[in-house]
Amino acid sequence: MDNKTMTMAASQRLLKKSNKSALQKEKRGKYLVLASALLIISATIAITIFLGSKGLQAFISNGVSIYEFLTSTKWNPTAENPLYGAVPFILGSFAVTILSALIAAPLGIGGAIFMTEIAPSWGKKILQPVIELLVGIPSVVYGFIGLSVLVPFLRDTVGGQGFSLLAGMIVLSIMILPTVTSIATDAMSSLPKGLRESSYAIGATRWQTIWRVLIPAAMPTLLTAIVLGMARAFGEALAVQMVIGNVRSLPSAITDPSATLTTIITLNMGHTTFGSVENNVLWSLALILLVMSFIFILLIRYLSSRRQF
Amino acid sequence: MKTVMEPKQTNTRIAEQPRSENTEMKQAALDVKHLNIYYGENHAVKDVSFSIGKNAVTALIGPSGCGKSTFLRSINRMNDLIPGARSTGEIQYDDVNLIGDDINVVALRKEIGMVFQKPNPFPKSIYNNIVHALKFNGIRSKKKLDGIVEESLRKAALWDEVKDRLHESALSLSGGQQQRLCIARTLAMKPNILLLDEPASALDPISNAKIEDLIMELKKEYTIVIVTHNMHQASRISDKTAFFLNGVLVEFDKTDKIFTNPSKKDTEDYITGRFG
Repeated sequence: MDNKTMTMAASQRLLKKSNKSALQKEKRGKYLVLASALLIISATIAITIFLGSKGLQAFISNGVSIYEFLTSTKWNPTAENPLYGAVPFILGSFAVTILSALIAAPLGIGGAIFMTEIAPSWGKKILQPVIELLVGIPSVVYGFIGLSVLVPFLRDTVGGQGFSLLAGMIVLSIMILPTVTSIATDAMSSLPKGLRESSYAIGATRWQTIWRVLIPAAMPTLLTAIVLGMARAFGEALAVQMVIGNVRSLPSAITDPSATLTTIITLNMGHTTFGSVENNVLWSLALILLVMSFIFILLIRYLSSRRQF
Repeated sequence: MKTVMEPKQTNTRIAEQPRSENTEMKQAALDVKHLNIYYGENHAVKDVSFSIGKNAVTALIGPSGCGKSTFLRSINRMNDLIPGARSTGEIQYDDVNLIGDDINVVALRKEIGMVFQKPNPFPKSIYNNIVHALKFNGIRSKKKLDGIVEESLRKAALWDEVKDRLHESALSLSGGQQQRLCIARTLAMKPNILLLDEPASALDPISNAKIEDLIMELKKEYTIVIVTHNMHQASRISDKTAFFLNGVLVEFDKTDKIFTNPSKKDTEDYITGRFG
């Protein structure tokens, strides 16, 4: 406080003043951030309502059976007797998501442990930029590499066309690896230091400390990392579409071509007219994607609420 | 694990030595000779030599950064976890030098347990916090585990408070209870020496008093080395006190002597609160 304010009475210094310009500045700032928040919220709500109404139109106004949509494996909306069974795509989406998570989870968590526990100095220096680079590569590049390197490789080694669930799974697992690794790294490095020390202090080896103490303690966040990776895999369209083969039938093996919800939407939205049944069922597929992403978010929220550190 | 280091089996070398030294060895749990510890360029502990007695409480006091915690952590080689830390000299324990490269630090830490300033139970149940350590040791029989859990919790004066909720999360305990659980967890390993790094400084006065009572009780069975910032605590519970300043062991003597009639001026200044 300078001398001038010191000489003022407390009532002059501390009581609320009806200073108009200052008050207006405060208010302006408040409205600015409130507007941003409202815009984000209303955009989300608008998308949900729009997708909801468009997605249900096929069932309500076009008379497509929800039961058929969710249980039949036959998809052919443009045939004379159109068939609307979305099961191959729903299963395809889940298959590539789960399979790619099965690859990315151990690799990502392993990489995170390497960076935080085994070689915190040089391991992090090398792996961190590699991961950031992986995030920055656009999905079309992943798809292109998959198409021109992975697919021919699979064709020569495991047989078949090369375009397959397997190819989609491999491309996706590389794409979600950085997500899993970086969140898992945060999870491991945010554990209290004392936990590590106290485990060593009762004579645990490094492996016992990692496996029995640190991983269980970080488990809720590690699961969050995996679920976030899965959410990304579930929604990825372009790269998957380039390598998965896009057939309408159920795959019988991992080397068979397949399709996912996203790939069917991107492939067909160009040649269906807005408002037609063929177009409306695509919106229904999109609605399933939206519902699934809500479920992923709920799962992440639930897991974060169980965090102990 | 413990029996390997028991004097009976490893006494052959000592037995050949003169009798007087033999008795002296028996009374010292740890014999520190010319110990130097460096963190990179920082010389944290400078040429420290003294003996830590068996079944006694030795307090290490001194201002922050004086090297007392560094010294404590070197006894069970916790400093190995710090990149750039290295030490020279000797900490003679039975017939080995604990500073040596040939020490199996995992086995060592089971014999020389450590409890830290901040209670850090594992995010598991009370029961599993203790069992956990035992499973590392290969004890798997349920009956045996149950027995050791009760025994260690009793020794840590926690049994009566938690016996009905052994399977609840250890994080639901109060800070003082958590710290006693950490002590119980260490006792379950059946160590020979307990290293306590300011075990009560993060606790309220009542929990603090309980920990002090516990230390007095444990001293009958264990050799205890405690780092403390609390002068009263050091004077209440310890038999001998070592005063560290800037990495140097300034004075080491009976606690009564240190607190009533210290021979060095620095010691007197510190315990009377003139600095630190």
